[in-house]
Amino acid sequence: MVDKELKDAVAGLESGPQATPAAAEAPPGAAADAATHPSVAALRARFGAAVQHHTVMSGDEHVVYVAAAQSAELLRWLKEDAGERYDLLKDVTCVDYGGGRPLEVVYELWSIPNRRQLRVKVTLPLDELVIDSVQPIWRTADWHEREAYDLFGVHFRGHPDLRRIMMPEDYAEGHPLRKDFPLRGRFSRAEQTRRALAQAWEDAYTPQELSVVEHEPQLGRPAADDAARTHAEASGALNPDALPARPNEADDFSLGTSGSAAGGRQGGQL
Amino acid sequence: MGLGERPGLPVMPAGEGEASFLTTRLDEVVNWARRSSLWPMPFGTACCAIEMMATFATKYDMARFGMERMSFSPRQADLLICAGRVAYKMAPVLRKIWDQMPQPKWSISMGACASSGGVFDAYSMVQGIDTIIPVDVYVPGCPPRPEGLIYGIMMIHEKIRGEALKNPALRAEDPARVGLPNLPAEVVAEITTPFGNSTNQNKLSGLVSRGAVARPTDRHP
Repeated sequence: MVDKELKDAVAGLESGPQATPAAAEAPPGAAADAATHPSVAALRARFGAAVQHHTVMSGDEHVVYVAAAQSAELLRWLKEDAGERYDLLKDVTCVDYGGGRPLEVVYELWSIPNRRQLRVKVTLPLDELVIDSVQPIWRTADWHEREAYDLFGVHFRGHPDLRRIMMPEDYAEGHPLRKDFPLRGRFSRAEQTRRALAQAWEDAYTPQELSVVEHEPQLGRPAADDAARTHAEASGALNPDALPARPNEADDFSLGTSGSAAGGRQGGQL
Repeated sequence: MGLGERPGLPVMPAGEGEASFLTTRLDEVVNWARRSSLWPMPFGTACCAIEMMATFATKYDMARFGMERMSFSPRQADLLICAGRVAYKMAPVLRKIWDQMPQPKWSISMGACASSGGVFDAYSMVQGIDTIIPVDVYVPGCPPRPEGLIYGIMMIHEKIRGEALKNPALRAEDPARVGLPNLPAEVVAEITTPFGNSTNQNKLSGLVSRGAVARPTDRHP
């Protein structure tokens, strides 16, 4: 038997790869379809009609389409249910197929404990691009949803800070990754150049965002101070007077102009 | 190259027991000093910056030309090398860095994207940094090899060699132009006229792009 297999294999070197009879009969993806994704079955059992349909892409990538009205509730259940535990949100993005077709919001989920992938898609009609934010569920969705808002114009209801993240803060030409957006933008190059140089980007950020120290407190003060504050907060006995003052608190609003002149920031200068 | 090797610079040989001296023009000395110790301000945004790093590293070694050190502060730099594409969001940063550099200063636009936008004829990309800042030398290539950048720097050297301190227009800078586009709006519109084959996008969007269907010869009748 082994000899025959070896003989066939050696002979096959001459003729090149051949389709096996079994593969020729089975349609692609049939095996994966037959073994239905356990999470999709559980979603159907729990949410019923909110789970619209289920397909398999590229062999083993399971895609489930759900209703926009229940998407956040459904995604929260996928994260928190003991049997699902999709704790890693790999991506939130959008697809615009053009031609007036609805826009798709895509959630790419991965369950680290169960080692399981699931892609959840929500279709939104172009005249109502509103969906519940999943930022309260996965913190990482914060910037992903800002990106989707910036480039596609989807409004994520309940997002704490929904503003542009890639295009300039005062960008007035719309949402560039939409299919109806002209490749070179809507304004003339001269106008785009003028607006680009006129943008006051210092105004688009809070003093805290412009300050490294404020965002990375460990750079600005001694570790012992940090430990004391954390302990006090944890024990519920936070008394601001009893703690050493944070050195950079006083000049929060002068950072934009006075720069390193503020003595308290010296520790954080990189 | 030493001073004495330049034609037109008379060097008086020292006689027996006499002090040696030479005479030259002030321009020659100043230009020699300036071109022999350029401090580059690297503005590397893309793959051109990789070639720029290669140029400054051991094999090509820009220290041979007195460019011992990259100046990562615009205030101690006199040659801005813009290596890579510049997005409109980055344009005010480039302009601010240029405005912060003290005179005398020169700039090199390195690579196709910095010089013309390159393949990025899109909504987000500056179509040539000469719309933002004045450019002395354009280095073509995608990206240019280190030899290309060195050739561009040698051209800067030649340009400095020909400068005259008495030329009032040379170092003139208008404080009212700080932070503004380098070119008037109509010139920006002309030099960024679309070309190439990316017209399908505009057809889909209903825009009519006359520049895209015109022949190159039609652009300058």
